[in-house]
Amino acid sequence: MADLLTITDLHTEIRLSGATVRAVNGISLSLAEGECLGLVGESGCGKTMTARSILRLLPPGGMITSGAIELDGTDLVQLPEELMQQIRGSDIGTIFQDPSTALNPTMTVGTQIAESVVVHKGADKQAALARAIDVLRLVRMPEPERVVGQYPHELSGGMRQRSLIAAAIACEPRLLIADEPTTALDVTIQREILELLDELRRDLGMAVILVTHDLGVIGGRTDKVAVMYGGRIVEYAATRSVFATPRHPYTEALFDALPELAVKGSRALYSIPGRPPDMRTESAGCSFAARCRYAQDWCSAHAPELDGDHPGHSYACFFPVSSVFGGGQAAAAIPVSAWLSGHDPSPRRSPAADGNGSSSGPLLRVTGLVKDYPVTAGLLRRKVAAVSAVADVSFELAAGETLGLVGESGCGKTTVARLLVGLEQADAGSIDFAGTDLTQLSTRQRRAQATGIQLMFQDAFASLDPMMRVRSILREPLLIQKAGRRRSHRRQVNRILDEVGLPADAADRFAREFSGGQRQRLALARALIQRPALIVADEPVSALDVSVQAQILNLMRKLQRQYGLSYLFISHDLSVIRYMADSIGVMYLGKLVEVGPAEAICAAPGHPYTRGLIDAVPVVTADPEAAQFGGGLSGEPPAATDPPSGCRFHPRCPLAQEICARQEPQLQPHSAAGQFVACHFPLEEAVSSPPPAGAADLPAAPSLS
Amino acid sequence: MGSAAVAILVAMFAFCFLGPLVYHTDQVHVFFKFANLSPGAGHPLGTDADGDDELGRVMVGGQASLEVGIAAGLLAAFLGSLWGAASGYFGGVTDAVMMRIVDAGIAIPTIVVLLLIVTIYRPTEPVLVLVIAATSWLSTARLVRAEALALRTREYVQMVRVMGGASPRAVLRHIAPNALGTIAVNVSFQIGNAILILATLSYLGLGVQFPAVDWGNMIFSAVQTISSGYWWQIVSPGVAIMLVVVAFTMLGDALRDGLKSKSRGR
Amino acid sequence: MTAFLARRMLQAIAVVILVTLIVFTLLELAPGPDRAAVVGTAAHSQFLVQYLSWLGQVLHGNLGVVSAGGESVAALLATSLPRTLILVGFSTLIALAVAIPAGIFQAARPSSVTGHGLRVLTYVFYSMPAFVLGSVLILFLGVGARWFGAEGPQYAGLGQVITDWRDLTLPVLTLALGTIAIFARYMRSAAADSLDEEYVEAARARGADERRVLLRHVLRNSLVPVVTLLGLSIPQILGGALVVESLFNFPGVGFQIWQAAQNHNVPVILGFTLVFGVGAAIGSLLADIAYALLDPRVRYARA
Repeated sequence: MADLLTITDLHTEIRLSGATVRAVNGISLSLAEGECLGLVGESGCGKTMTARSILRLLPPGGMITSGAIELDGTDLVQLPEELMQQIRGSDIGTIFQDPSTALNPTMTVGTQIAESVVVHKGADKQAALARAIDVLRLVRMPEPERVVGQYPHELSGGMRQRSLIAAAIACEPRLLIADEPTTALDVTIQREILELLDELRRDLGMAVILVTHDLGVIGGRTDKVAVMYGGRIVEYAATRSVFATPRHPYTEALFDALPELAVKGSRALYSIPGRPPDMRTESAGCSFAARCRYAQDWCSAHAPELDGDHPGHSYACFFPVSSVFGGGQAAAAIPVSAWLSGHDPSPRRSPAADGNGSSSGPLLRVTGLVKDYPVTAGLLRRKVAAVSAVADVSFELAAGETLGLVGESGCGKTTVARLLVGLEQADAGSIDFAGTDLTQLSTRQRRAQATGIQLMFQDAFASLDPMMRVRSILREPLLIQKAGRRRSHRRQVNRILDEVGLPADAADRFAREFSGGQRQRLALARALIQRPALIVADEPVSALDVSVQAQILNLMRKLQRQYGLSYLFISHDLSVIRYMADSIGVMYLGKLVEVGPAEAICAAPGHPYTRGLIDAVPVVTADPEAAQFGGGLSGEPPAATDPPSGCRFHPRCPLAQEICARQEPQLQPHSAAGQFVACHFPLEEAVSSPPPAGAADLPAAPSLS
Repeated sequence: MGSAAVAILVAMFAFCFLGPLVYHTDQVHVFFKFANLSPGAGHPLGTDADGDDELGRVMVGGQASLEVGIAAGLLAAFLGSLWGAASGYFGGVTDAVMMRIVDAGIAIPTIVVLLLIVTIYRPTEPVLVLVIAATSWLSTARLVRAEALALRTREYVQMVRVMGGASPRAVLRHIAPNALGTIAVNVSFQIGNAILILATLSYLGLGVQFPAVDWGNMIFSAVQTISSGYWWQIVSPGVAIMLVVVAFTMLGDALRDGLKSKSRGR
Repeated sequence: MTAFLARRMLQAIAVVILVTLIVFTLLELAPGPDRAAVVGTAAHSQFLVQYLSWLGQVLHGNLGVVSAGGESVAALLATSLPRTLILVGFSTLIALAVAIPAGIFQAARPSSVTGHGLRVLTYVFYSMPAFVLGSVLILFLGVGARWFGAEGPQYAGLGQVITDWRDLTLPVLTLALGTIAIFARYMRSAAADSLDEEYVEAARARGADERRVLLRHVLRNSLVPVVTLLGLSIPQILGGALVVESLFNFPGVGFQIWQAAQNHNVPVILGFTLVFGVGAAIGSLLADIAYALLDPRVRYARA
């Protein structure tokens, strides 16, 4: 096959007022017609800048300083801007990360999809719109004739991303660049979008560059992978061989940091120490040397070339990982469901939960919690409807344990967190915390109870006052609760900084001077300084890179053991939940549909929705068939203003019967393991039993396809 | 941009307050034989209709303009911040009433209200400060209220409640310090605006009163003889006003840009 | 959207009522004889009674008389208001026509020579009081070069006022230049924000050229905030008109207010200020409606 795209020794720099960032530092790669390349790495590694360089759409100050990008023999770097414009949109299509910002809010979806047809084919309005409808049909948009005339805000997140894909392929490009196309979407939609991309690639014969930080997205869908670090490609090979035998220590570390690959017997995830390199300065040696577990003195003085010991698998390392001393665990394709069901050998029971102190019942007992948000309309802002955010939710959490709350966005899990920490008032129900019903307390009493429950937000930076130094931020809870003398505060701050792994001089700095992971450490330190019994963590790691995520998760587990802490851990990511939680609660549209021990739920989910969530988790495997495994869920949750009658899940449920629309199922004991499921037709254990290790042997889709 | 603005301001202050110590002129007496001289030796910027030296007059006139402008700008920003913060803090009906009052105040052109007030009170410097501040605080009130509402939803402000703190703490320790930047930007714009308003009032004959002098009434005098083409009598104070207002506007812009990049955190 | 408009309309009415209250309160401070000229025999009764009686007169179209036995305020308004509308209308149209492209250009090419030049000019005109600008224009283009008249048109007939471009140019230009600076500053920041958005990047990735990006994507999105600004700056523009009218001796509403202020003619001030206030309230209402029409998120969300 002839190569469609060849990049040779590309250097891209971004010149800022004070410094020059070497965003892309000499990369070479090639892509054949119809081939799919995965460009993977953590944020700031240069993967997005590589994609932008191909399009020649660089941020202000950005420029390609040397190298060639040949598309079909034409060097795009040398092309005048007018000719480059003819290539963008016609030969190269682009999909952006966030469909809510990449669509113009004041233009109809149809106009934007048709834009490239108008620009490149000179189509008139009529023909362009007709094409837009065709393309929308191609991306399997329901009611394309209606959607072309709608504005982006009228569409759901998944439909917006479909529109964006439609806009990218409207001129049938030969190369499609997808920059984190599913990162902003829910897992369930993520899977649908990835499958759509696969299909379009086959049908239209496009080559695809899939830029992502998520190895699960790459595996099984790409032909080859380029792993980037510090603006360079550090490993470049067929997807199968990278997943089977990663040779670069960085690639190996990325795999080891994945919670879904946490191996039996290992107590903690592998986390890459330190931070990504400063791309403003050129280092003499290997840019990964400072963080590499195998680095020798040689590595920091000499830069390794990208080559390999056998053709087709190249890497830039002097001491590559081999099966002999490498610790890589990525060797086997592990279907997530198999991993999820695996027995966890490291029970996280804290001493407190082990018997002696636990006879007094659970630390937290939530009963019948309800929260509605009014929707007003009309001249007098009368209440016309209510968003049912949390509807009759009950669960328990024992001291020293972790309850993982999982569900799609808008399912009400964040509202539960806000109710627990007192940011919202419950409309009904009780929150029993350490023997006190928090909903019955006066404001003053409630404030005093705050020492017991603390909160971590997803965006740590937004939760830290930008005008305050770290010392003041950490001291604030002590001052509010008038805990101890002022003199002892200094000591407490220093101690807590040490516990979360930050240097003592951090106390005199501002939050903006820290990296994302460090900021989350600060948020954890603030939550912890009063020694609460419960920390409510709302998506604490979802904004972080995999390696940093592993650091935070490990730290949280360490501190839990140390202090007998309880966590209510909220995440959309089942693999993270699985790594952290003793028990799991699954929420759908404000309802708790399943709750029980983590192992039991992952091994044999009782609710069809739980099954669907598990199936939607991307599988870290190079095996295309394993990647296709499972049925997943289709569609998106309906609006919570008008929840479906009966079981709220029934419109999306493959097993739904007539009774489901009529009668609401209650949480019922499901298994001996202590699972509770709210479903008229819960899944039998036999049907959903964990598949054997070989993914290829699996039934195509158990019960849900 | 910020440093250029500061440089202009320092220069203009030195010019107005230190200049007369170096460059001595008689701005009290009338010298008809020197009236309306064009710029030249002895009078670098010419003379006015009373035969007074323009350069010296621009220096002295600047003192009133800067004093009243800065005092009125600061006072306006202060009053506006209080009103806006109170409106945002109480919310509900109080907020609606307080903001409708601001809407109504803004709907009447400032200069009209000023005309009304100064027809009643004899405009002295303190009266002018009060009067200009009393008409300029409205925009600050609107801005600070919007800022307070936005800050109230920030996660670091919500954290105070999670930690068991009461609202005064959230307001004093978090909302106020973080709104301070926005207010500082606004102060800069308000001062520039107050200088413009004072000049306009004086130009309309209702500002600083004879024998006191400011840039506005210098132009007012010059316009009386505009058909004679004594351009230096208009250009000199005109450029002075413009330089100071440009500087305060640029300073405000620079502060705002700095604030924006600071809050981004990366 | 109807509910939104209805609510907005109620707000506008509340604002107009407050405007009259504020103006009336200000007059309460004025010396006795002035007040008597407006409120007539009720001069010694309660404030509220006086206010309501004045409001009743206003609602019947009676704004009082300019001077004892003379022309009515309403009649004076009828001759002066159209002149102000001509002045403000022309200069606002010119301001929009210049400021929108100038603002977009500054945002799109901030570091070009023209971009820097426009930026400096914007600062200069933003900071120059209308009377200075007008005086300078009179000095050089009126008195000096004699291209244009140094006074506004003095004709009684409106038709003559409009066609007298020689005399109309300088007042319109003076008011327009100041307004251009206000709008261009705002347009620049709105367009710069819009250019930073990802949908602009997406349009470029579809092969849209700079022209298309600016005209089809940036323009409409940055017009949304500018329309709001237009509504909010009506009082400012009218205030500017007052200064320009007095400088050019152009007998519009502003000129009359200025004259009345010097003569302590309260009925005129009160009546004319009321008109300005109502105009501003209606302007901001219209701006909100235009905003709703321009931004589909508002248009549909409130449907």
